[in-house]
Amino acid sequence: MDMENFEQRLRRQPLRQIPGDWRREILASAERAPRPGPRASFLSTFNAQISAILWPHPKAWAGLAAVWILIFAVDFSMRDTTPVMTEKTAPPSPEIIVELKQQQRLLAELIGADQARDAEPPGFLPLPRSERVEILMT
Amino acid sequence: MPAGLDIERLYDEHAQPLYAFLLNFIRDEADTRDLLQEMFVKLARDPKLLAGVREERAFLIRLAHNAAIDLIRQRGARDRTRANFAAEMISPFAPASDPDEKYFRDELAGALGALPEEQRAVVHLKLWEELTFEEIAAALDISPNTAASRYRYGLDKLRARLRPLHEEIKQETT
Repeated sequence: MDMENFEQRLRRQPLRQIPGDWRREILASAERAPRPGPRASFLSTFNAQISAILWPHPKAWAGLAAVWILIFAVDFSMRDTTPVMTEKTAPPSPEIIVELKQQQRLLAELIGADQARDAEPPGFLPLPRSERVEILMT
Repeated sequence: MPAGLDIERLYDEHAQPLYAFLLNFIRDEADTRDLLQEMFVKLARDPKLLAGVREERAFLIRLAHNAAIDLIRQRGARDRTRANFAAEMISPFAPASDPDEKYFRDELAGALGALPEEQRAVVHLKLWEELTFEEIAAALDISPNTAASRYRYGLDKLRARLRPLHEEIKQETT
């Protein structure tokens, strides 16, 4: 069979025509399709994205948000107690202040003695290498 | 240009070849209508889809092809077997008054329906849209060599199946 002839025969076969009533129906559907509005602002885009993320399980996300709010609330309430505690602490009495000063003085003396001991020359001081050689020679 | 008028122009220029392509590809008139409607709704909703497109026809065929592939995947096992597919299919050809021509068209429709979808798409675009292999390759997102080989394989199968009928009709006419 001649291939070209066969192809030509196939090409000549007329295709089925699109039903005429489809035009009106399809174009009406296309007309009803929502058109793109003006360029969306950053906030509306952000809002849309957040909605898309939260939409599948809104209750679960709301529950998670409530838990976080509770955690923050507890955290803030714990912080608030700290200054209250310090305010409630009574100022030290004069006797305690005198006692503390004495202890500080004693501590200063002890430290001073230690410093004096530290100031004594050490038993061994490293000598320069040349002097060490002289010692070995003698 | 208003979007509504543009959609009308697109429909008048391209709906018929898209209908024929889709009908040959999925062989179901209701599905073909749904896909066509979805395509035009999509285009109306987002006119930017066609912005910068040089070959509208090739672009629309690509859209139609992708939509048809998705539909075939969604159909599931029901239509995957070729036997069921061939039995339920609608012919993509116009009815013929001459009995011989009618018989040939019915056989041709059956032979086309038995081709794998990818070969059927290429054969349709080459024979009835008269696209080049480069244009077919661009529309179906394949290489021109692949388009050419699919056409050759498809046409060989059609010729093998229709040879006796073709020879018989040719002898009668000569």
